[in-house]
Amino acid sequence: MRSKVGNIVVIALFIVILGVCFYYIFIDGIQNSIKLGLDLRGGTQIILKPVETGTEEVTDEAIDKAQLIILNRIDKLGISEPLVTRDFNRNIIVQLPGVDDPERAIDIIGKTAQLEFRIVESVDDSGNPVLGPTLMTGDKLSKAQAGYSSNGQIIVSMIFTEEGSRQFEKVTSENVGKQLAIVLDGEVRSAPRIKQAISGDAVIEGIETLEEAKDIALVLQTGALPVNLEIQESQTIGPTLGQDSLRQSMLAGIIGFALVAIFMVAMYRGLGLISIIGLICYVTIFWGILAGLKTPVTLPGIAGVVLTIGIAVDANILIYSRIKEEVLKGKSKYAAFNEGFRNALKAIIDSNITTLITAAALYRFGTGPIRGFAVTLAIGVVISMFTAIILVRAILFLVVNSRAITPGFIGVKLPKINQETKAVKEK
Amino acid sequence: MAVNKKPVKKIEKVAEPVVLGERSYKFDIVRKSKWGVIVSLTFIAVGLVMFLIRGFNFGIDFLGGNLMEVKFTKSVSITELRSVMGGAGYGSAILQNTEENQYIIRTVPLTDAQKETILDTLDSKIGIERPLVQDRNVAPGFSQTIIRNTLIAVAISIAGILIYVWIRFAVRFALIAILELIHDLLIILSFYAITFREFNTTTIAVILTILGYSLSDAIVVFDRIREEIRVNKRDRFIDISNYSVNKTLVRTIGTTVTTLFPIIILLIIGNETLKDFAFGLFIGIISGSFSSVFIGPQILVAWNNRFPKYKK
Repeated sequence: MRSKVGNIVVIALFIVILGVCFYYIFIDGIQNSIKLGLDLRGGTQIILKPVETGTEEVTDEAIDKAQLIILNRIDKLGISEPLVTRDFNRNIIVQLPGVDDPERAIDIIGKTAQLEFRIVESVDDSGNPVLGPTLMTGDKLSKAQAGYSSNGQIIVSMIFTEEGSRQFEKVTSENVGKQLAIVLDGEVRSAPRIKQAISGDAVIEGIETLEEAKDIALVLQTGALPVNLEIQESQTIGPTLGQDSLRQSMLAGIIGFALVAIFMVAMYRGLGLISIIGLICYVTIFWGILAGLKTPVTLPGIAGVVLTIGIAVDANILIYSRIKEEVLKGKSKYAAFNEGFRNALKAIIDSNITTLITAAALYRFGTGPIRGFAVTLAIGVVISMFTAIILVRAILFLVVNSRAITPGFIGVKLPKINQETKAVKEK
Repeated sequence: MAVNKKPVKKIEKVAEPVVLGERSYKFDIVRKSKWGVIVSLTFIAVGLVMFLIRGFNFGIDFLGGNLMEVKFTKSVSITELRSVMGGAGYGSAILQNTEENQYIIRTVPLTDAQKETILDTLDSKIGIERPLVQDRNVAPGFSQTIIRNTLIAVAISIAGILIYVWIRFAVRFALIAILELIHDLLIILSFYAITFREFNTTTIAVILTILGYSLSDAIVVFDRIREEIRVNKRDRFIDISNYSVNKTLVRTIGTTVTTLFPIIILLIIGNETLKDFAFGLFIGIISGSFSSVFIGPQILVAWNNRFPKYKK
């Protein structure tokens, strides 16, 4: 159907695409070409669920703000390449690659850091202070710093903004002689007695370690989270587990590929060889896209890649078995190739689209690694259709008229002659 | 010719070839495949019974809890480890040896302080390597979110596939495709119930994958039937279905085998997570091929007999 020139153009186009893919694979060194997900490179993932306090609904704006604050805190911790995303259930997902002290990071990220200044009204029977209404919150701080007080105690000193300063002065001047409780996340940290009106700053006492003081200063500085967040899941993968998984999946992929290649050549001879060219292109383009898009590849994602090798071969098998069938019917090479492709096309498209539908649902409703899987599955399905329908077709039609294409090349043996003679007899 | 006769004779024992001139076929799969349905239903029934008796072996993703994978600096037996854990007050922890000197320790959800106590005890009594191989903490009740998401994803996929197959084929094909899907899901679930393999988020991912993938076999068979109906006005529907199944059989087996190659390798060499994946996919892919050959076409034929207006 298509002209020889057309096929050459298609193949040339693929060579260009492959070139681009190679560029992306090798640009940062082959080792770093693919961005690995947390489960493969090691790291910490935290899923935080916003909790409604009282009757107040958690708004999207509040979650947006919380995401930003979390990102700020991570930044202050000095962790590189953090990822703070939100899933379909409005959970906040924090991904931190290769953190030394995951517990601390988890602790800091999840802290609400709601700072309140309240007057101690009285003391109940068991000695606990009874607090009055919140007079001021921590949102008017300009700076918070960990350090030591003059008597050697660990403290966090806070400096107010101009507005905060005025407010604090008002609060303190109205309550001289009373105790002012400094409450962090519901816990009374200290309750000094107000001797006179204070304006500029305040301190938090009663901290055990300097480390803790630093953490408190950090969360105060980045501001309080507008919603309370509950840690639903935290996961830390050490660097060795991920490396193991990666190595094993790569090995399975390579051995699997080799077995597939042997199978294809055994079943379809020369056609099998062409499909191996198609498969190599498939893997290269897949790799190139992953490298180019910088999509992080997760462990389920790798499983997706392994699975799509099967999908990619499927298109070839569908086409070749149809070609074989047509040849057995006694059609000419060209007609058999043409019919084979035409007949297989619908099945290929329909079966791949049903897979794509699921991949889309997975992406929309999945979390974390499952999303990664959906992405590789979808990319794999699209590239495999692309290579099988366009590239393999172009190669086949380019060589179809050459004398090398014999029934043996296609993997059809003697029965062809039997069929032909039968066909003649029937007539 | 004499050479050819032998294998044909062998096949006769399994199924008699049906001779319809150019559209003859070797295996009378559709007429015999009530056995396929029986095998599947038995399997699902056994799975259901096992599920009712002891349920699934849910992982911490579903139950909530803490999982640490620890590499020890020296060799330690599971009994020694159990007694050390008992000494720390966690005698009920689930222990699993993964690699040399490496164990998974599963407990109830832990606070940071509790976790440190355990790790300090392990470090002083045996000696552990830091950082840990892995460490997960899941709040109880989180699974509700996962389950809800999964059900939504399954519902949307099924609806999408139903509509697509309906448009491309016909309503009976669409409904039977969905039936095959549900069959495949039930088979996977039965396997998890029978083998008592851990049921976790990986399992969910596998189920969703099979949802998308296992249908391709069914689609290929249906595609062939759709095509044959158009060109073959002579034979009965059962023969058309049989012929189509026969014609796609080599492809179905070929694709199943090639897809299974890497998965089998993963099953052999992979670590626990990878094995989890490979196991579910293995079952799902085989089940998908099985249902597309032995279940779907038969139901399609039964449907055609029941509602003759669909008979062409």
